[in-house]
Amino acid sequence: MLKPLEYLKIIQNRLLLIKLLGHFPRLTWLGLQLARPLYVDHETFLNRTLRYGMLTLGAGKLPPEEVKAYITGFNAMRENFKRAMNAKKDGVPLVWVQWILSSEIIAAFGARALNAELLNVFGNVVSAAAPSDLIAEAEAIGVPVEYCSALKTSIGAYVLGQTPEPDLIVRASQPCDTSISSYQIMEYLTGAPAFTFDAPYWKDEPSFAYYEKVMWDFIAFMENHLERKIDWDKLREILTTVNQFNFYLHEVTEMMRAKPAPCSMITLLMQWVMREITIGDPAITASAKEVYEVAKKRYEKGEGIVKKEKIRVIWWNPPFAFFTYIFKWMEHEFGAVVVNDFIGQCQMPQIDTSSNESMIRDLAKSHLYLAMGRQCHGPVEYITDELKRALEAFSADCLIFAGHNGCQHGWAIGRIFKDICKKAKIPALILNADIMDQRHMPEKEIKREITEFFRSTGLA
Amino acid sequence: MKILDITRQSASMTQNDYLKSAKASGQRIMGYFCAYAPEEIIHAAGFVPYRMRAVQSSGTTMGDTWFSSINCTFVRHVFDKVLRHDFDFLDGIIFSNGCDHLRRVYDNWRFAGVQTPFLHMFITPHVINDYAQEQYHRECLKLKGALEQHYGIVITDQALQASIKLYNRKRALLKEIYELRKTKAIPIKGSELLTVMLTITSVPVENAIEILEQILSETRGRDISSPNDIRIFMAAGHMEEIDHLELLEECGASIVGDNLCMGLRHFDGQADETGEALPALAARYLKHISCPRMINDFQRRLDHVKQTCRDYAIEAVILEKMKFCDLWGGEAFIWRNELKKTDIPILVLERELYGGSTGQIQTRVQAFFEQVRNRQAHDDFVQAAGKSYRLK
Repeated sequence: MLKPLEYLKIIQNRLLLIKLLGHFPRLTWLGLQLARPLYVDHETFLNRTLRYGMLTLGAGKLPPEEVKAYITGFNAMRENFKRAMNAKKDGVPLVWVQWILSSEIIAAFGARALNAELLNVFGNVVSAAAPSDLIAEAEAIGVPVEYCSALKTSIGAYVLGQTPEPDLIVRASQPCDTSISSYQIMEYLTGAPAFTFDAPYWKDEPSFAYYEKVMWDFIAFMENHLERKIDWDKLREILTTVNQFNFYLHEVTEMMRAKPAPCSMITLLMQWVMREITIGDPAITASAKEVYEVAKKRYEKGEGIVKKEKIRVIWWNPPFAFFTYIFKWMEHEFGAVVVNDFIGQCQMPQIDTSSNESMIRDLAKSHLYLAMGRQCHGPVEYITDELKRALEAFSADCLIFAGHNGCQHGWAIGRIFKDICKKAKIPALILNADIMDQRHMPEKEIKREITEFFRSTGLA
Repeated sequence: MKILDITRQSASMTQNDYLKSAKASGQRIMGYFCAYAPEEIIHAAGFVPYRMRAVQSSGTTMGDTWFSSINCTFVRHVFDKVLRHDFDFLDGIIFSNGCDHLRRVYDNWRFAGVQTPFLHMFITPHVINDYAQEQYHRECLKLKGALEQHYGIVITDQALQASIKLYNRKRALLKEIYELRKTKAIPIKGSELLTVMLTITSVPVENAIEILEQILSETRGRDISSPNDIRIFMAAGHMEEIDHLELLEECGASIVGDNLCMGLRHFDGQADETGEALPALAARYLKHISCPRMINDFQRRLDHVKQTCRDYAIEAVILEKMKFCDLWGGEAFIWRNELKKTDIPILVLERELYGGSTGQIQTRVQAFFEQVRNRQAHDDFVQAAGKSYRLK
């Protein structure tokens, strides 16, 4: 029987340990390197407590300067979790924010934001089985088994008392039906008033204008429920930080075109996770800056993240939440570097902070460029055009498509995908997995399939 | 031939005789997918709106080369028929963002190179509020403009107003037929009504009105109910399998209320005939009883089922979801929990379109009905015993 918020408390404690290690990044790196035989291959009862964290920190294969950037961001996330858990005690409203959205406005109201899907990723910090247990709990109470596991985890977490009660919920009508449906369940279960960001289908001026109206309506919703006004100066301050954050990551995304690629894609992905949890926090912007500086240094010297880059991979769909080490593993084993992906690449437009109106207009527009939402709210071309550009601009040798079990609209366009790769003469591996639930395809099997793919295509 | 025999025959064909003769007389046919597609605009442009369906499907073999095994069988069957040229008679298609499966039909249709002269994606917001209604209005303008440009026609306000009048008439007749089922003597079966719905969504509206008027006159005074039948509310997404409803009826169901694409959602609410046409359509289409794709409206759907149960003396609810339909899956979760509180028995069935499994379905439905009947018997006993009744 789980105690209320037990998972979050465990996660917080482990992140605290990381904070302490942050004072000694080089030593941490060395420790991770030396201890590799004890934890890299698989989870045991001895390494269960720390394995996920150690792998996520690169298992000694991530240079110390990047480890330092991770730790800066992890601290910010730990603070976010702490604030969310203490919201009730502190008398501050807590707002659940769907992972496809961003929480700048909430912060500008002085409320606290909690990414309701955080245990999809961070549940693994507790143990490899934890997210699967949350999924099983959701299914046990009658949530459809064919839902995307990302949302099943959130419902399971709430039902088991692992997520703090929300005062308000903010959700979106994208990227998929599971989001639409599961957030109705969450509204029903929690009884919290919910606001919906109804995403338009197209990316054109009328659609942006519609989304801007949605954003203004959201402000009215917040004012109405919190009985206070938005702090425009605070919003300006937050968005200035957001602009800087986006700038750094956009630069790193572009640097990944270089041969050899100067950064590991998992680093960009971790930045995305940080954005999801606590965007606008100066600490994650500092983390992004650290990543940018490290990557830039390597780029200017013509150095890659691996000594000998042999394979350039495009990774499509989100990565495996339970196996964040996969990218470092590919680098280490095959010299295969993921140079562009579906989520970690940053394409966020800058926000004009000169007036209240320009901030809301651009913030609304920028939300349609957040990872996954950007590709999934409209026609297939929003995905395929990006993929075609990535294959060409990043000099890809192959594509790995992390097929996600519950992604019905994604699987519905599998044929189009295959045809594009065939036409581009790019070998493609389509993994039939679940990115949140390792029971579908565990890490050992993922490694085996990727190894077979590289060998059978002659890439390795 | 009686009208219900005609509708049964028409419902079982991709192209019925009404449609064939309309086509032969030079009328163009426009396919559409969803209850949120404004038929009046299509009609005012001179087309016969044709609700897409999978009847006479021979399977999903070809459809499966574009869709996956985790997509719903409706789109896989329909796309199979598309690739087999069953829909070549269509002069255009209006796609919908009704759900994830449906919106990808638009993508696969284009990439598969299906030769249909006019393709249009009609976007319905996922919320119901004022600015969503304005957005829907803009979509109506876009559709009107696209039709005018592609076919070199002008859709006048008068034509739109005339179409609204016709469609309002159709909706009023359907409402009247539906309300006949409020009484104990039920004049039309759910399965028969489905044949009517399948027919009237694939014929010129003028024919549809004639059919409905005939239905009204032929069924008035008819009683198909039997004393042991259980009055049912049926909720689902796309439903076109007449056999399936007949199976439920054989088990003792009298379907007297619904929230179906090919049911109440098709005709709920009237468009205002006094004001401007397109805003009136936006108001009607966005505000009719919603499907679970409407994210901020589940309370209204719950209120509707509860109210209908009261008004139509409904004894139980059957909610059906097609396999891999997240939207109805989530709705089933909420209904299960909520109806329990109001003591309305609910059975949630999962099915594949033309998926068979009749034996399994029959067993589940029979068991459910037995539970409902036992409960009623228990309640009757309690009532008869009055105050002297005590549990031992």
